[in-house]
Amino acid sequence: MNGTPLLSVESLSVFYGHFRALDAVELSVGAGEIVSIIGANGAGKSSLMKAIVGQADRIEGRICLEGADLADRSTAEIAKAGVALVPEGRRLFSSLTVEENLRIGQEVGREGDIGFDDIYRMFPVLRERRRQLARQLSGGQQQMVAVGRALLANPKLLLCDEISLGLAPVVIGDLYEMLPKIRERGIGILVVEQDISRSLAVADRFYCLLEGRVNLSGRPAETSREIVARHYFGG
Amino acid sequence: MKASTGAFAIWCGRLALFAGAAVLVAAPWLFRVTDIALLTEFLSLLTIAVMWNLVAGYADIVSVGQHAFVGIGAYAFFGFAVIARIDPFLAIPLAALVALLFAIPVMAIIFRLRAAYLAVGSWVVAETLMLAAGKLSAFGGGSGISMPVSVVRIFGAHPAERYATIYWIAFAVAALSLVSTWLLMRSRIGLGLTAIRDDEQGAGVVGVNLSGLRILCFLWAAPFLGLAGAVITLQKLRVAPPASFSIIDWTVYVIFIVVIGGIGSFEGPIIGTVIFFLIRSYLSEIGVWHFIILGVLSIAVVLVEPRGLWGLVRRFLPEDVIPITRRPPLPGRPTEQASRPAESIAHE
Amino acid sequence: MLGGWLNQIVQGVLLGGLYATFAMGLSLSVGIMRFVNIAHGDLIVLVSFLILTLTTTLGLSPLAAVLVTLPITFFGGYLLQRLLLQRVLGKGVLPIILVTFGLSIIVQNGLLGTYGADTRKVAGGSFETATLMLGGGVNVGVLPLTIFLSAIAMVVVLDFVLYRTRLGARIRAVSDDVAAADLIGLPSARIYATAMGIVGVTIAISAGFMSIWTNFDPTSGPSRLLVAFEAVVLGGLGSLWGTLAGGIIIGIAQVVGAQVDAAWQLLAGHLVFLAIFMLRPEGLFPKY
Repeated sequence: MNGTPLLSVESLSVFYGHFRALDAVELSVGAGEIVSIIGANGAGKSSLMKAIVGQADRIEGRICLEGADLADRSTAEIAKAGVALVPEGRRLFSSLTVEENLRIGQEVGREGDIGFDDIYRMFPVLRERRRQLARQLSGGQQQMVAVGRALLANPKLLLCDEISLGLAPVVIGDLYEMLPKIRERGIGILVVEQDISRSLAVADRFYCLLEGRVNLSGRPAETSREIVARHYFGG
Repeated sequence: MKASTGAFAIWCGRLALFAGAAVLVAAPWLFRVTDIALLTEFLSLLTIAVMWNLVAGYADIVSVGQHAFVGIGAYAFFGFAVIARIDPFLAIPLAALVALLFAIPVMAIIFRLRAAYLAVGSWVVAETLMLAAGKLSAFGGGSGISMPVSVVRIFGAHPAERYATIYWIAFAVAALSLVSTWLLMRSRIGLGLTAIRDDEQGAGVVGVNLSGLRILCFLWAAPFLGLAGAVITLQKLRVAPPASFSIIDWTVYVIFIVVIGGIGSFEGPIIGTVIFFLIRSYLSEIGVWHFIILGVLSIAVVLVEPRGLWGLVRRFLPEDVIPITRRPPLPGRPTEQASRPAESIAHE
Repeated sequence: MLGGWLNQIVQGVLLGGLYATFAMGLSLSVGIMRFVNIAHGDLIVLVSFLILTLTTTLGLSPLAAVLVTLPITFFGGYLLQRLLLQRVLGKGVLPIILVTFGLSIIVQNGLLGTYGADTRKVAGGSFETATLMLGGGVNVGVLPLTIFLSAIAMVVVLDFVLYRTRLGARIRAVSDDVAAADLIGLPSARIYATAMGIVGVTIAISAGFMSIWTNFDPTSGPSRLLVAFEAVVLGGLGSLWGTLAGGIIIGIAQVVGAQVDAAWQLLAGHLVFLAIFMLRPEGLFPKY
């Protein structure tokens, strides 16, 4: 990482009413890098994702994409600037077809070279099912649509919020195999996951959140499992 | 210092409430006949407002068809007192009973609609009942019918005497509805209702029987509205579909009263009714504009302070003037405030 | 005798076409934004008065007057949603009902103050009285027939917009899950406002038909709202073809009721609505 990182989060605090969900968090994601956020339930992972896409109630600090501050920008503007979210629970538009869901991803995003064919090559089953309603798909297929929808926005930064939740291990494996391929396109990926081993295996770097603060960061290969576990549970 | 000013304000409020009640008790000896008639109207509207607040503000049944029960009460009273020739004083509680009986099928219809559509659904039912009342030839059909002098005289040979009698009936109805509803709100049922008002889903989780409470409130309101209808018939001395089932008088005004005064509080409808009568007596000469002012005011209230004028005042007071919920022990409050947002994060 | 009844049914179907045009906009706002605009009928009456003013003061033909009002009602609907209704959307049932209820009273009394309480009608010329004799005692007015065919056209066009266009996909997406739309950067407030603009266009069209075919006065709104609501509920929430069918059922019930006794027209419509609603509370063609 040299020069300005793709995403830099500087002393970010996120508030819901009087409750402080994140407290002075610092982190960065480079282009073509996979960064994992790990932490227990309620550690502030989802709040971080929401804050980056501009959906937090109130924030302090800075969130910059390629050096430009995203504060005061609407979610739609942030999406156009090149941030795409795969939301927790997939959140597809259930009465729209697969193709319509994907097209909405394309419409909210920015211009770029990722097209429908790329998505269908990545997930061939979606091509067969493109005319079906999203709610008629299996959970794994729905998650493919959610990832495809985000990729069609041609993001510089892809946010993946708990993409393994409620899916069979085989399906999760397939999805996680896609991440390095996406990284090859120069897209920075921020992965939020409760499944530590899965997300550390794929990550270049990680941050551990506890009660809204970063209490550990580093490279998975250079950090022992005991240390990670201790920080995860707050020993 | 601050706590004592708050407590002082509370006691001033309670004093004003008791002073108001005392004036109402002494009214027949204090005021002229026209003022007594106005106060009778005030008490009827207050009764209807308290009931709409219970139904819409607490039980979350946003009905715009409650005027149906006023009309049913009016027609039932007329039917018992004039057509069936029953003692008119007995006809009044019987009117309440008929309103209650009608509430059951009405409820069976409108409770099938989801909350957002219940409002207009209740209006359809009220409209249907009004049109049906216009088909009753014994009640003068669409143009209505006056009460015969013989029945009217039972309430007083002279107008002044009659006005006083009707006033006392209206007073009794309003007092009964206020006190009994206050007792209802102070019971365990009231705790459940407050939970519904504040957060319906949360209330369901902690084991409040939502549909049971909604049914209870809807059935609770109907007989009181029927009583109000009987009083109004006594005052107007006639029944007619558009007047007895008047959506303007018994629903539009009442919604404005409750919304502006403060929905979901016991004080709100009382304050709202007082303000409404002030606005009406000073602004009624500007015709349609007083409706427009009321409409704009109520929209502004919803946007700015959904709890109405009382909600605005209540921010500066440590407790309710009319206490309904038993207060939790003081240390309980801060922890509750701190833990709520944390829970909502965890749900994400 | 049989021909007489057949004629009544045909007249009822045609009246139902008018009711369906009232209900089309309400059906959209119920299906997309999940609320009932209590001022819906009053807005139809408001636009009818606008059309009346355009025809009488500027001498426009009714058709030209409706065309002039289309952009006005589109932006009117857009701004109403953006500036007022959006502020109370998603905050529960009570606020949106109270706001549209207040709006209804404001519109009614604003019209009373401006135009007085007189009953009005827009002159439609010879078009208004032309009749086709279909034989067997069935006579069809050209105006009611035009309205009925327009109601069908409205369903076809709205269905096309909703299910075959990008805008339609966006509208359905926001209607499906507004929070998800907000999360991925689909501007829900703007899309809702556009949908309300489309509702505004349907209001202008129905106001144009109503002002030529029936009398109206500033307090006519609520009865239009009730009929529209009944058509929407009978048809099944969110289904436009269902709404058309619902309008036709109410129309037939009213015309046949009036045949029994003129004073029974409105009551018959309501009673038939309540009866069918009790049997099929989800409507005839439920979508959700």
